[in-house]
Amino acid sequence: MHRTCTPLIEVSGLVKNYGSIQALAGLDLQVMPGEIYGLLGPNGAGKTTAIKILTGLVEPTSGLAKVAGFDPMEDPIAAKSKMGYVAENPILYESLSPRDFFEFVASIRRIDQRAANQVVTQLAGAFDMSQFFDSPIATLSMGMKQKVALIASLFHQPSVLLLDEPLNGLDARSSHIVKDLISLHAQRGGAVLFSTHIMEVAEHVCTRIGIIYRGKVITEGTFDQLRSRTGGKGETLEEVFLKLTNEEEEVAETIKALRERFYRDEIK
Amino acid sequence: MKLSEAWHLSRIPYGEVAYKSIIQTRSGMWWGTYGRSGADGESRVDVEMAERALRIAKFDKLVVGVVSVITSIIPFASAFTQPPPPRLMIPISLSLAIAFSFIMLYAVQTLSSFVSAESSALLSTLPFTRDDFALITLLSFVRSVDYMVVGSILSQVALVACLTTSPLATLLMLVASSTNAVFAVSIALLFSRLFYRNLLGGGRSKVNTALRLVFLLAWGLLVMGAGILFSIAWYVVPNLEGTLLSLDSSPAFSVLFPFSAGMTVSSTVYPQAALSVTLAFAAMAGYVALAVIAGRWSLGMTRRISQGTGFRIARGLAEEFSVKVRSPLFGYVMKDLRISSRNPATAFFYALPAFEAVIVSLLMMGHAMLRTSTILVATAMGGVVSLFMPLGLLNAEGMGLEYTKTLPVKIGRIVKSKALISTATYVPVPLALLGMAFMKSPTSPLAILIPFVTVLSIASASIVEIRLFLGLVAKRKIDTLIHDLGRLIAGITIALIPEIAYVTAYLMSTDHISAILIMGGVATAELAMANYLLLRRS
Repeated sequence: MHRTCTPLIEVSGLVKNYGSIQALAGLDLQVMPGEIYGLLGPNGAGKTTAIKILTGLVEPTSGLAKVAGFDPMEDPIAAKSKMGYVAENPILYESLSPRDFFEFVASIRRIDQRAANQVVTQLAGAFDMSQFFDSPIATLSMGMKQKVALIASLFHQPSVLLLDEPLNGLDARSSHIVKDLISLHAQRGGAVLFSTHIMEVAEHVCTRIGIIYRGKVITEGTFDQLRSRTGGKGETLEEVFLKLTNEEEEVAETIKALRERFYRDEIK
Repeated sequence: MKLSEAWHLSRIPYGEVAYKSIIQTRSGMWWGTYGRSGADGESRVDVEMAERALRIAKFDKLVVGVVSVITSIIPFASAFTQPPPPRLMIPISLSLAIAFSFIMLYAVQTLSSFVSAESSALLSTLPFTRDDFALITLLSFVRSVDYMVVGSILSQVALVACLTTSPLATLLMLVASSTNAVFAVSIALLFSRLFYRNLLGGGRSKVNTALRLVFLLAWGLLVMGAGILFSIAWYVVPNLEGTLLSLDSSPAFSVLFPFSAGMTVSSTVYPQAALSVTLAFAAMAGYVALAVIAGRWSLGMTRRISQGTGFRIARGLAEEFSVKVRSPLFGYVMKDLRISSRNPATAFFYALPAFEAVIVSLLMMGHAMLRTSTILVATAMGGVVSLFMPLGLLNAEGMGLEYTKTLPVKIGRIVKSKALISTATYVPVPLALLGMAFMKSPTSPLAILIPFVTVLSIASASIVEIRLFLGLVAKRKIDTLIHDLGRLIAGITIALIPEIAYVTAYLMSTDHISAILIMGGVATAELAMANYLLLRRS
C-alpha cells in the first residue's frame, strides 16, 4: 500500500569508508509515510553510521541519502527542519538544564511559544521530569538524558524520526510511552527509522524490519515475511535474525564452548 | 597497595579526566567539520579524536610544566648575578608563590570534570579496598600537575643546593617546596569543587544567578591577574624584590607563607634577626602541620569523590514546565552565554569587560588631559582583549556541538551570535572612556567617538575571526596553534585598520572631523564587507 507514496526516507547505494574500514557498502532502504522501519544488525553493522548520514552528521563517501526529499548534505536546513533525531548516547549541552535546552531547541526551530509550552508540559509531565527540569543535564541519568533528547526531537512535530536505540536506559513506564508516541507518529503519516538491538521491541513496534549486515541490508520485510524466508523456522525475531545472518550455528558453538569452559562441573 | 602500583593504575582515571577536559574545552579543534570545507570523514572517527585529545593534554601539560619551572627559576637570577649573593629569602618566596599559582590555576582549569567522580567509574567495579581506590583517585589528580610539581620542587631544591651548598638548607627547601605543592593541589581541589558545585547548582533563582556571576568575575580577575603577572615576571620580580627586601625584617612578614619558608631556608646560611628567624621556624612548623591536614583533607575528598559521595545534588521540584521561546539568534546567544559562563576554562572571558575598564582607567591616571593618543591606545587594547572571546565561545560549545549539527541552524547565525557576545564584551571600554572624559577634558571632544566607532570594527573582526575558525580543520596541535594565531591576527588587523585610518587622516589633514569621518567610513565598510562575506559563505 505504501509503495505508491513518495518515501520520506530514501537511501540508495550508500557507501561510507573510514580509511580502510568500510562501514556502509551500498546500503539501500526506503521508509514510507506511516511506516516504522526497524534497522536490526549486529554491532558494527553500520546502523549508527547510516542514521548519522541521514542527520547530516557524517558525510557519505558515495550514494544517495534523502530525508523528506532533501539531501542532508546539499540542503541541510530543509532536511533538518523535517527530522527529529535521538542519538544512541545523547550528547547534549551538559551545563544546561532541560529547561534551558528546550528553550534553545525551540528557539532555533522557531516553534510557536504556545505550541512549545504545550509539548514540553505534556511530555515532561508524562516522563516525570519535575525533579530534574532545572538541574544541569550533566547530573542526569542516562535514561533521563534520553528523555530530554526524545522531547527535543518531537518539539516541531517532524515528519521523519531518526531514532538510534531510543529506549536505551529508559524505565518500563517511559519505554511504554515512547513506543506509543512512535506508533502515534506513524499513524499520523510520519516515518520512523528505528535502530535497536532489542528484538522484542522491533518485533512489536516496527511495521517493517531491515536486517543490516556488513554495511548492507541483506533482507527486509514484516516479521512474518522474514520468518517465511527462514522456512518458517524460528519463533522469535532473535532466532530469525540469527538464521538470516548465518550466525545461528556459530552462536550455538560459542555457547557450547563457554559452557564447557565455565560450567564444566555442572555439565558433568 | 604499593604506591608504585597505585601510581601506575592512576593513569586510567587521569586519561579519562584529560580526555574529558580537552573534549569539553577544546572542541574548537573539530569545529572545521561544521561546514563542509575540509571536512574529512576520517577526522570524525571517535578513536582518533580521543587519541588526539590525549596527545594535546600531554603536550599542554609539558608546555605549562616547562613554563612554570622557568618562571619559578627567574627569581633566583639575581642571586647568581649580583655578588655578593643577596639573602635568599625573597627569591625563594617568590619562586614558591609562582609555582603555587601555576599549579593551582592549571589544575583548576583542567580538572573540574575530575570532581564529578565519573573519571573513576571504570575502576570502581574492580576489587580494590576503599583506601586503595582513594589513593588511585588522588594520584590521578596529582598526575595532571605532576610535571609542574616535580619540576618546581627539583629546580627549587637544586638551585638552593647550588647557591648555599648547605645540606640543611637543601633539606628545608625540599620541605618548603613539598608543602607548597600540597597547598596548591589542595586549593585546586577546593576550587574544582566550587566550580562543579556552581555547575550542579543550576537553578534560575536571582540569588543563584547573582552568586554565579560574582564567582565568575572574581575567578576571571584572578586568572587574568596571574596571567599578566607571569607574562611580565622578568620586569616585575626585580621591582618586587626591592619592595619586599625593605619589609623582610618585619616579624609579621616572617610568619606569612611563603615568606616564612624563604626566611627559614635563608637563615641557615645568612644570619638574620633572631626574633624573625624564631617566628619563621615556628610558622613553618605550623604550615607543615597545615599541609599534612590539607593533604589528609584532599585524600578524604578524593575518597568521597571515588565513592560518589563528594557532593549532594539538591534538586528542587519544577513548579511548571514552561519555556521561553526567543528568535533563533537570541536563542543561540542565550545558550552561548549559559554554557560559557558555567565552564571554568571559558568563564574568565566574562571578566574581560571589567578587566578592560580597569586597564583603561589606569592608563588615564597620569595625565592632566585625556589625550587622543591615550584614547587610541586604550581602544586598541580593549579591542584586542575582546577578540579572545570568540575563541572561548567556540571552545565552550564542547561536545554539545554534535547536537547543534542536527538542528536547522545556519552557520551565519552561529557566527552572528558569537560576534554579538564578543562585541558586547568590548562595550565597557568606550563607556569607561566616556566616564573618564567627564573627569578629564579630552584634547579633542571628537576623539571620544573613536572607541564608539571601534564597536563596528570589533563586530567585523569577530565575524571574520569566527568564520575563519569554522572553515578550517586542524589535525595536529601545531596546526591548531597556527590556525588560532592566524585567526587572531586577522581579527586584530581588522580591528586596528579604522584606527590606523584615523591617525593617517589626522596626520594628513590635522582635522579631527575629517579623521573621525574617515574612520567611521572605514569601519562601516568593514562591517558591510564582513556581513557580505558571511552571507555569501553561509
